Amino acid sequence: MIETSSSMGQRFVIFMTFVVALVLATMPMSFWAAAIRPDWPLLVLLYWVIALPHRVSIGIAFILGISVDILIGSSFGIHAGAYALVSYSAARHYQRIRNFSLLQQSLLMAALVAVERIIVFLIEYYLNDAQFFGQYFWPVLSSAILWPWLFLILRKVRRRFQMI
Amino acid sequence: MTPLFIRTVSLRFRLTLALLLAFLLLVLDHRLSVMEPTRAVLNSIISPIQYLAVVPEQLLSRLDQNLQSRKNLRQENETLKLDMLEMQGQMQRYQFLVRENERLRNLLASEAREDSLRMVAEVIAVDSNNFSHQVVVNKGSAHGVFIGQPVLDDQGVVGQVISVGVSTARILLISDQNHALPTRSARSGIRVVVQGIGETSELDVMHVPHSSDLAEGDLLLSSGLGGVFPEGYPVARIVTIDRDDSLPFARVSARPIAHLDRIRMLLLVWQAGGEQQPVFNPIQEYRERLEGAPESEGTNPETEETAGE
Repeated sequence: MIETSSSMGQRFVIFMTFVVALVLATMPMSFWAAAIRPDWPLLVLLYWVIALPHRVSIGIAFILGISVDILIGSSFGIHAGAYALVSYSAARHYQRIRNFSLLQQSLLMAALVAVERIIVFLIEYYLNDAQFFGQYFWPVLSSAILWPWLFLILRKVRRRFQMI
Repeated sequence: MTPLFIRTVSLRFRLTLALLLAFLLLVLDHRLSVMEPTRAVLNSIISPIQYLAVVPEQLLSRLDQNLQSRKNLRQENETLKLDMLEMQGQMQRYQFLVRENERLRNLLASEAREDSLRMVAEVIAVDSNNFSHQVVVNKGSAHGVFIGQPVLDDQGVVGQVISVGVSTARILLISDQNHALPTRSARSGIRVVVQGIGETSELDVMHVPHSSDLAEGDLLLSSGLGGVFPEGYPVARIVTIDRDDSLPFARVSARPIAHLDRIRMLLLVWQAGGEQQPVFNPIQEYRERLEGAPESEGTNPETEETAGE
């Protein structure tokens, strides 16, 4: 099959999108820019889960979550578990989500990002007595606004490298 | 390969597995903290991302430097020279005081104080973690950085190293909720513990009796009692004291001396004559170690043993 020869390159493309997402997520920014920074890794992950559910799903979500845990310095497993859970719901209903309009998808992404952040907060609250603050949910909004653009860009990438 | 079937069968199973694994990792990492070595390795693996993330900012600041006008530069040079002059004046006085202090300590027959070694480190990532105050700096175990190492800036105490990769280290700031350090009031000498509350501009002074001799504006210096921070570095200044008799302790809040919200350059501190020593030129050191490999292998265990004793 021709697929096997190019699948390595395709995997590399997916990997690179994750690297870019992680870089964007850790890039130092001013206070306000950092407060509304969208959840880049989760959005990219969800795109690939919906587009290529047989390639990217819970396993990759777990590994990405671990990387985020290391980068952010939170306890191991917090983001890994949250990402796995969120990507599960996306992977389960990927056919339905594909048929949504971009606006509907944006709303769904907002909901998923919110779920992820709630899970992370609850674990942090239980482990480290984290204090809640209102700005914590701003990225939900910014992620929803970002989603259509991200979707179009990543779809272009996917079609460019002929990933089915 | 028909991915359809493989996937649908095992999705729920995979989720269960992932959640179990995540829970296991959480317990191992948080409750038992056996993951320290793993974390160090993973930190080193992932550090390229952190270096990548600061590239745009560094490029911008370099551009900014290149575009600065001659006049600005000259002005800056002038002020720096003035600063330098003033510093040197103060330094002379400091040298005098050090000598005097040494003489007095000799007279009192008490131990001489060890000097400390410092290394400048640059902050490469201020964490986007909302529930923890940490920064990452561009020095790691290759430079001799160790866990528990005190970190200062030009004003005062900033925090301590909590995990080390090869070329990066993670620093827990004193404003983190999980951080507390013993201090002493510079005016009255009263010992208090200062704890972070998750705000960069506010610290909590714990367990202060109503009758204690603390006042608003008191400077709190590190007392050196915790064994992590050396003695005598400024930590915080007391802002408010609320002596409400209905509470068991007075409520005292302080403001950190170091500007925790805009740290850029930090100082890593080593005690002179301590177990750990800074490595200012890791590559050269590494080469030397390679060349003198058999010899250093023979000497290393010995030094470790003596350190252990």
